[in-house]
Amino acid sequence: MKRIVSVSLGSSRRDHSVNTKLLGIDFEISRRGTDGNFDKALDLLKELDGNVDAIGLGGIDLYLYAGKTRYAVSDGLKLMEAVKKTPVVDGSGLKNTLERETVYYLRRNSRLLPDGCKVLMVSAVDRFGMAEALTEMGCEMTFGDLIFSAGIPYPIKSVEELEEIARKTLPEMTKMPFHMLYPTGEKQDTQDQKKVEKHGHYYHEADVIAGDYHLVRRYMPGDLKGQVVITNTTTRDDVKFLKEKGVGWLVTTTPELEGRSFGTNVMEAALVVLLGKNWEDITPGDYLELMNRLQMKPRVQRL
Amino acid sequence: MATHEEINQSLEAFEKAYTGNSRLKVMNRDWDRNVLILAEDIESVHTLTLKGGNLSFGQGKIAEPDLTVISNSDILADMFFGDITPTEPYMNGTLRIIGSEDDILRLDFISLLIWGE
Repeated sequence: MKRIVSVSLGSSRRDHSVNTKLLGIDFEISRRGTDGNFDKALDLLKELDGNVDAIGLGGIDLYLYAGKTRYAVSDGLKLMEAVKKTPVVDGSGLKNTLERETVYYLRRNSRLLPDGCKVLMVSAVDRFGMAEALTEMGCEMTFGDLIFSAGIPYPIKSVEELEEIARKTLPEMTKMPFHMLYPTGEKQDTQDQKKVEKHGHYYHEADVIAGDYHLVRRYMPGDLKGQVVITNTTTRDDVKFLKEKGVGWLVTTTPELEGRSFGTNVMEAALVVLLGKNWEDITPGDYLELMNRLQMKPRVQRL
Repeated sequence: MATHEEINQSLEAFEKAYTGNSRLKVMNRDWDRNVLILAEDIESVHTLTLKGGNLSFGQGKIAEPDLTVISNSDILADMFFGDITPTEPYMNGTLRIIGSEDDILRLDFISLLIWGE
């Protein structure tokens, strides 16, 4: 039995554990939230180090991207460096491959992503691969990084401008406490009503809303008209929430295990165990080949 | 130690760089704020005013502040000249900003969009 634990800065209300089999190997996969408590996350990581097969870091990114340049998030690095023996991943390695493939899959196998459709990505510096793939597919993009993270009502309309702004801001922003940039702990269970009212129209104007679930959720207005949401991790409660808001279709980039999709960090941790290689030596091709063997496909759900 | 005049010159440079950036004006058209700039080691007080996307500054406290930026004169001058970013002094406590977290983050973004690499 391989044990994988995802340690998240997010709410412990989303904790979950499943047993599953991947390529004939038994896995116990669990998620443990620390309600935004950084020190608790550090302690938990130290406790797990050497006692599980891989650790996923959730609710925080280790790296944010401006094109091919990546910037390490200081708080994420502190967590990673607490782990000395066990492989630890944040999902960023897999995300680039998995989320690009999700976009290509939707274009090939559905009518949810037609040429010219309007896509709002609530944040793109945490998933540059998806941003590039959507642009490549001819979608009319609105990147909401400044709108939702900084409260600046300026829609970024191209990958080039996103990259230019990211190059200016990420080297410094990644040094800030992560909770200033991303909802952690109980903020994940609530909405920012002020921003919902001020910036909710960007959701209404889009055909497709894509990005990290906690960001998508935090700023989502009601009265949506059947929009498509492409995101990573959802629970049954999340699906109910999206349905109530008027979302028409839900696409999750990671496969479902016992009624919920786990975070990309969890899936990457599982793939690292299956590959048996050092994380630094794993290539996008390794992930792609393994994803094909596992027949990993995005989950497409009509709400 | 920087002088009051040097801080004044740094704010002129900041205002000039801001004014020359039409994108920043669009970004901040909804953000009307008064920012008080206080040096703690010399007698020096300025007020930055953002209104309708335009930025101006004046000497002294000329309006009730929404944000107050407090540091020593060297850091203030270096920061507004773009020689250092606000992040490091903010993180090590030598730069204090009093205001809402959203406003602090936004001010940081503006500074980076002006002076960032």
